[in-house]
Amino acid sequence: MRKNAHAFLQLLQLADSALPIGTAAHSFGLETLVAEQWLEVENLERFLGAYMAEAGMLECIFCLLGQHLGAYLEESTLEAALERWLQLNARLSAFKTARESREASAALGRRLLQLALGLEVHPCLADFVRTAKIAGQATHHSVAFGLLGGLLQIDETEAALAYLQQSLTGLVSACQRLLPLGQSRASQMLWHLHSTVLTTVERSKAAATDDEISCFTALVDLGSMLHPAQATRLFIS
Amino acid sequence: MFPQVRGRLRLYFTYEPERQVTILRASEQEPPLRVVRAFPRVDGSALLHLHNLSGGVLGGDQLALDIELGPGARAQLTTTSATRVYRCRDASPPARQTCRVRVGAGGVLEYLPDQLIPFAGSRYQQSTRIELAQDAGLFWWETIAPGRLARGECFAYDLLQSDLTILAAGCPVACECFKLESGHASMASVARLGAFRYHTSFFICRVGLPAASWLQLEQSLGELAQQQSRPGEIVWGVSALVAHGLLVRAASTRGYDIAPGLLAFWKAAKRALYDEDAVSPRKVY
Repeated sequence: MRKNAHAFLQLLQLADSALPIGTAAHSFGLETLVAEQWLEVENLERFLGAYMAEAGMLECIFCLLGQHLGAYLEESTLEAALERWLQLNARLSAFKTARESREASAALGRRLLQLALGLEVHPCLADFVRTAKIAGQATHHSVAFGLLGGLLQIDETEAALAYLQQSLTGLVSACQRLLPLGQSRASQMLWHLHSTVLTTVERSKAAATDDEISCFTALVDLGSMLHPAQATRLFIS
Repeated sequence: MFPQVRGRLRLYFTYEPERQVTILRASEQEPPLRVVRAFPRVDGSALLHLHNLSGGVLGGDQLALDIELGPGARAQLTTTSATRVYRCRDASPPARQTCRVRVGAGGVLEYLPDQLIPFAGSRYQQSTRIELAQDAGLFWWETIAPGRLARGECFAYDLLQSDLTILAAGCPVACECFKLESGHASMASVARLGAFRYHTSFFICRVGLPAASWLQLEQSLGELAQQQSRPGEIVWGVSALVAHGLLVRAASTRGYDIAPGLLAFWKAAKRALYDEDAVSPRKVY
């Protein structure tokens, strides 16, 4: 049995698409892309690969930075970590210029942290939740997931891989409701995209170290901006 | 080794309450960056045209813009033509432009340049940091072309990197950072630009307005976005930022469709935020 088998189990649960935090209610702008007929089954896998390389990498960098906060937390560094926690979330809010997607990310992050509080993940977790609440700072899903991974002493690569895989699974699941995409084809896509996920995590680790963040998803952002005006909507975002 | 050009332009505007005008108090200019003079406008603001005497940005150029508006100062900056980023020689480092902007309390900066055209083989990095004080206002747009389409160039540049941060009262409210390289996955991906070729970002800020005001403006400008959009040609979107502003974004198949839309959003937003007309510089966009 692996040395950190317990932490691995905890990671599996937190990264499960069935985790009750509301992931299934959000498409992050994909619903508009489908409605405008820009996104179809035929170009979906290529789209997801490019999406991972851009938006996936942005989220992955913040997941890694969140993981670092939790993994190296000591009593003497708690205050600095709480300050950094607020800064990370504020910065990610600024990157998320499309309101619906930003609010979706914050809703998922808030629910994940609330759930984790009930699971008694770590005694300091309540400090992070309380600090953000007092500051009125949104807590984003990727940063919160990374923080929990770090607090559970889960390796940064494993935490980032789990986060991205969960995100990708969520997007594919959304597309299954929006497009004529069957279970088998969806599974094949997810399987094919494993190498993209691995590459994205490696690139994100380097970018997180150099603080070189890059994300170009103009059309996806437009999809999110146009989503409130869609005549019919399956998703909140 | 190639000779490097180190251009610098520092502009400092102040507001004179007695005359109710903004004046260009100081300017430091090192070629190829240059301004001729500040033109007074009927609303008391100052209009400046930014010139690049080289006719464009050459490989290895190191350009620095430092723009400061004192409390209450109002300035409108524009360019005299598109900013052309020329092909880099192989051994030449990327051209780089850094821009630092500070707008004091109650000041308003309108930055309304023509589009940026990165030529085939060009390498260009730009970094922009905008700091807004309490009640400071900002209208800042940037349009990026895919290259010289008439010459068959489309996303043929080697490197286009941009890093823009807007801080309001010390807090980040918008970050837009991207790095597009040759050999980079296709720009035609729906995750990036899809069938569109041009893109624009128009940041509109006024520090201190409550979130509800921005949601209201998002809704009214959103209706304008629907009117301005044409399926398959141009798509506009509007979204409130995390605080103190909103972003208008567009993707278009043609460059000349973007400027009229930007002017329409600028006019609507200026009216909503300042109850004033947006008076564009006398030029053809």
